[in-house]
Amino acid sequence: MFFPRALNLLVPRISQRAKFISSILSALLTTLILLSIPESGGQGRLDDETIRYKGQQLSIKWDPLTRAPLIIRGIESNLLEIKNFSKLSRKEITHTGPLLVSKYQPLLQIGPNQLKLKGAEKISDTWYVSYWQTFQGVILYESSLGFSIDSHGRIKSLGAILYPNVQAPVTSKISHEKALKIGQGQIKDFKKLKCRLVAESVLVYPVKKTNSIDYYRVYAFNFFPEEALHPATTEGGWAVFVDSQNGKVVLFEILMKPLGCCVPEDWVPPKPEEMKPKW
Amino acid sequence: MVSLKLLKFLSVVLPIFLLVFACKEKPEKSSLPKLGTAAIDFNCQDLKGQIWSLDKVRGKVVLLRFWADWCPYCRYEMPVIDKYYRKLNKEGFLVLAVNVKQSPEVALAFTAQLDITFPIPLDPDGEMAKRYGVYAIPTNFLIDRQGVIREILIGEVFKEEKFLENLLKDYFKM
Repeated sequence: MFFPRALNLLVPRISQRAKFISSILSALLTTLILLSIPESGGQGRLDDETIRYKGQQLSIKWDPLTRAPLIIRGIESNLLEIKNFSKLSRKEITHTGPLLVSKYQPLLQIGPNQLKLKGAEKISDTWYVSYWQTFQGVILYESSLGFSIDSHGRIKSLGAILYPNVQAPVTSKISHEKALKIGQGQIKDFKKLKCRLVAESVLVYPVKKTNSIDYYRVYAFNFFPEEALHPATTEGGWAVFVDSQNGKVVLFEILMKPLGCCVPEDWVPPKPEEMKPKW
Repeated sequence: MVSLKLLKFLSVVLPIFLLVFACKEKPEKSSLPKLGTAAIDFNCQDLKGQIWSLDKVRGKVVLLRFWADWCPYCRYEMPVIDKYYRKLNKEGFLVLAVNVKQSPEVALAFTAQLDITFPIPLDPDGEMAKRYGVYAIPTNFLIDRQGVIREILIGEVFKEEKFLENLLKDYFKM
């Protein structure tokens, strides 16, 4: 609508047919402009940058909102080389993350003491190690820092979702019991469906806005109907995040089931402590 | 005059309307896919901005995979799958690992952590997963060169390399 009106102002005396044609042309122009804009959330807006850091050349892809690195790669060099890697134990290997963060702390903008191990596993000859970011000991939802270590102990790149300068409450104002009731209250037929709480935690939940991030300290609950706990059913569950400050529900989401392999015939629902949490 | 105004309005709005819908999933036609039936086509943008559809990759053997980074079972299969993707890509093996309901930043960081090279299409609202009947992740569909679904694998199945290798033996010289 905007373009035709503008054209009308510019050419007030042209015929109706010409106006009509100009409208079509402007519509096509609008279409072309829309096509040329990268889709929101596409990688087109994530820029690569090459920098020199302590004499080392690095390629960095920054998160446009947090301004923290999403990817850091060494150019013709490794981010870290671990000596005698083959002799290290699993526990020693999990200490690699803090080492890496210490080395690149000015870029990563978090400290090594903010990492909490998410997982470490060896596939073929390569170790894959990942961590959450924490704030005052509380995990940030969907945060991560991870990398692979080859058989020679080389780390060539890292991937991360980090939040520098987190500003979140450090204590909860409402009780766990109250939050749980609020969470359960979000699910229709909670009792009828025989819903079970299969995972819960206190998390910092960052919500990205256009130019800023809101940080909520939340009680996070994962509920599943009993029927859904069977791996072969198509039933899903729910994630409910309750703001620990005022009891408001800040996230209510249908969950898909994370599944390991194979459904044995004598399968029975797992105990809550056996269920892997969403975070 | 009214009809002319209406035409003008439609001439502007319609292309935009059509464009918006053309960029999204094609409308749902059928229920859940079944083995031996044609895989449902889609249009999905990957992390590099490339649009993928099954029509475009006909003639390739496609492993269509649905995953999310919070799923512990999805993570460690990825390097195994990537190994075979690197090995057989030139012979026509394509992996489309669709990230379900997460931001491109999360998906990007995840791929960098695992050094994955195959395309990662994004399904931000979970619509594509829904159309494929995905209720648990990881879920994998092996689609043959004619676009027919030959395997549906739900849960963690590829952590053991041999499983994937045996599956691909039917399509490639290993």
